[in-house]
Amino acid sequence: MSAPESLVKGAGKYVDDITLPRTLHMAVARSPHARANVLSVKGGMNAGDLQALVGGFGEGARGDVNRAVLHPVFATDAVNYVGQPVAAVFAADRYAAEDKLDEIDVEYEPLKPVTTIAEALSASPLHAGTRSNVIQQSWIGADFDDPSSPVVLEEAFTIDRITNNPLEPRGIIADYDGARLTVYISTQAVFSIKRGLCNTLKLESSNVRVVQADTGGAFGVKSALYPEYVMAAYAAMTYRRPVKWIESRSEHLAASQPGRGVEGKMKLLARTDGTVEALRAEVTTDAGAFGGTAGTFSPFFIAMQLTGPYGIERARVRAASVMTNKPPQGPYRGAGRPEAAFFMERMMDELADAVGMGADEVRLINTTTQRFTSPLGLEIEASRPFFTRAVAELKYREKSQSDTAGLSFFVLTPAVTPGESARIRVQNGAIDVWLGSNQHGQAHTAFVKRLLSEELGVAPDAITLNTGDSDTLKHGVGTWGSRSAIVGGAAVVAAARNVKAQVERMRGAYTAEALLDGSYDAEVFDKHSGQVNSFGANVATVRVDKFGMVTVTECAAHYDVGRALTPGVVEAQIVGGSVQGIGQVLYEEVVHDAEGRLLTKDLFDAGLPIAENIPEFSISIVEQPSSYPHRAKGVGEAPTIGVPPAVVRAIENVSGVRIRHTPVSPEELIADS
Amino acid sequence: MRTKFRVNGVDVELDVEPRRLLVSVLREELGLTGTHIGCDTTNCGACTVLVDGIAIKSCAMLAVQAAGSEILTIEGLAKEGALHPVQKAFVEKHGLQCGFCTPGMIMTSYWLLSQNTDWDEEEIKKQLSGNLCRCTGYRNIIESLKRAKELMTEGATR
Repeated sequence: MSAPESLVKGAGKYVDDITLPRTLHMAVARSPHARANVLSVKGGMNAGDLQALVGGFGEGARGDVNRAVLHPVFATDAVNYVGQPVAAVFAADRYAAEDKLDEIDVEYEPLKPVTTIAEALSASPLHAGTRSNVIQQSWIGADFDDPSSPVVLEEAFTIDRITNNPLEPRGIIADYDGARLTVYISTQAVFSIKRGLCNTLKLESSNVRVVQADTGGAFGVKSALYPEYVMAAYAAMTYRRPVKWIESRSEHLAASQPGRGVEGKMKLLARTDGTVEALRAEVTTDAGAFGGTAGTFSPFFIAMQLTGPYGIERARVRAASVMTNKPPQGPYRGAGRPEAAFFMERMMDELADAVGMGADEVRLINTTTQRFTSPLGLEIEASRPFFTRAVAELKYREKSQSDTAGLSFFVLTPAVTPGESARIRVQNGAIDVWLGSNQHGQAHTAFVKRLLSEELGVAPDAITLNTGDSDTLKHGVGTWGSRSAIVGGAAVVAAARNVKAQVERMRGAYTAEALLDGSYDAEVFDKHSGQVNSFGANVATVRVDKFGMVTVTECAAHYDVGRALTPGVVEAQIVGGSVQGIGQVLYEEVVHDAEGRLLTKDLFDAGLPIAENIPEFSISIVEQPSSYPHRAKGVGEAPTIGVPPAVVRAIENVSGVRIRHTPVSPEELIADS
Repeated sequence: MRTKFRVNGVDVELDVEPRRLLVSVLREELGLTGTHIGCDTTNCGACTVLVDGIAIKSCAMLAVQAAGSEILTIEGLAKEGALHPVQKAFVEKHGLQCGFCTPGMIMTSYWLLSQNTDWDEEEIKKQLSGNLCRCTGYRNIIESLKRAKELMTEGATR
């Protein structure tokens, strides 16, 4: 990733800024129907040229699903969402490529689409070779007899889909020299893309190189393998010319993998003092038209985390992912964590109302005073000390006097498994570093420089963190799940210690001078598993006008980040993520009508927050060290977990309207007045 | 269509297909890839440049419409390698994360500051509302703008 000093000059190299000689530009013909049989496809490159399936690569994705539900690169005999790729055309420039889309002729036989989870459960299967539209379903947590609790609360919640909308859309250039495929791509994880391309096109690993271009944001949407990437690679190999595909914003809205899109049914059994005795729940994800993406597995991840930072002794959850005629669901900042926290925090607020306690009091009584493993498998440290301090630091008591404030409490468990790789090479007095997790706005360079100057005693200027490139490391995972500073950082420390040991062996003792004087190379894959806890709490205050328009006036955060390796970056992550959290509650959605047609046509419809939407921020960082050598935890996703429930509660307090979904519309807040 | 304009102080004359957007010509024909394309509906502002001193979205203008105009892109802001105060301020105040919206944000900020008006914070937010950023939550961009104003005032009085 180019340095900020370059980016402010417009000297970055994003994928569309890279030009190779003789490049062909690719345009993609997409289905206008949410569900149809494809009777014939004439023109362009299509399933007659390449039949292959994608799925199982990237954040939250796994391979263990029925192949009948995987996404075909080119549609074969059916299409299952508006925007699904059917054919591709190629030309010397983008304008000409788009003109050539007119040459594609597809004969469709439209069918009645399935657009909601409820419809999907009763409809016949979307895909031949499957028995129902439920991709996966299971129960988590041992069953129990309901305690005779005096307070029983049941609610159903919906979190609508959100499109990730990084400012740079997806994009790729594929280049083939007759033996080797080289791909330049906007991505979070060069190794996911490499594995995906090898697997889908049956290529030898040594014959594929994936290089990360400067990447203009991602938020989860750039970790997966997509059909368009396979098309570009296949075309480059077929035509022996570089092939470039740059996604348009319209394509991003229609055919990338949006996040959220989850329903939660919650039943809380509690005592009158606010103690939760048991939780029963159903979590169902609208996984979209194909499986093997994060959407297939997210309900289980959500279910596992439902009890949050609370010591709830009995819990049982049914988790299911269900297919509909919409684009496949993928991860969006938090990727399951915000959904779990939203469902639980909404119930805590409702419980507070039901038993006549403060939102802080009812949470406090359910915190833990020692380590606790939930019946769903979530491991938490004692949450009470953090929460007690958070309520004071956030001045919740004071702010709640005027009934304009909402409180949330959560635990972020970063995606530490299976660890991460790092390589350090010392040559000619310079230190080059490669990291398996690829930065795209998180400023990994800053923590790498800090950790290495601490470990090796060298000046930050001697250290360069290089762009992700699958040729420079043996393995790598990727950037998601608030993992880079913790596991990427740990890998950097491990590689540094390896290099130090090499210097000691060669020179008898380690000194920075001895290091820079020699040549060394160390690559480690630093393995990690288990659960790390980053606790966090938010207080939001809002104003609601007579038209139901909500203004978030203040957003306060109190987050444990383990150790703030680069405090300015940590704060910037919190502000940016908080505005995304506000976006989820107030503005953002991606809407399909009952016929499965996309109604969200541009970034305004999609509801991206603008500068005028932002509140005052007050951020306090706690540094409770993790057990990792550099003491870091995770932070990137904390604000998208904590901000939505706090804002929603504040709106509820001001408007008096119970809120069970996001986004919240102005109309519903003034319906009764 | 034979078209002439001046870009970053250099006279340019080229054949332009009439349907081509200004942003396409800047990026593809002139190689000025600092001007970015983030949408196809003129919402995002990543392609903001100055045409005859006014900030415009270069995806909302045909290149032939710019004939005879003076165009300033992000590449033309730094003078002799030295960052413009607006660029300096964005680095100093973490006004960027992924950097993709940044050239457009900087060009809009540059234009705002060239207006020589004392914008208050609310007005700055309003003026920035045509430029979208997905990473920063805007706060550090606003801080960058304020810092740029300070740097420019210091520069002017030195």
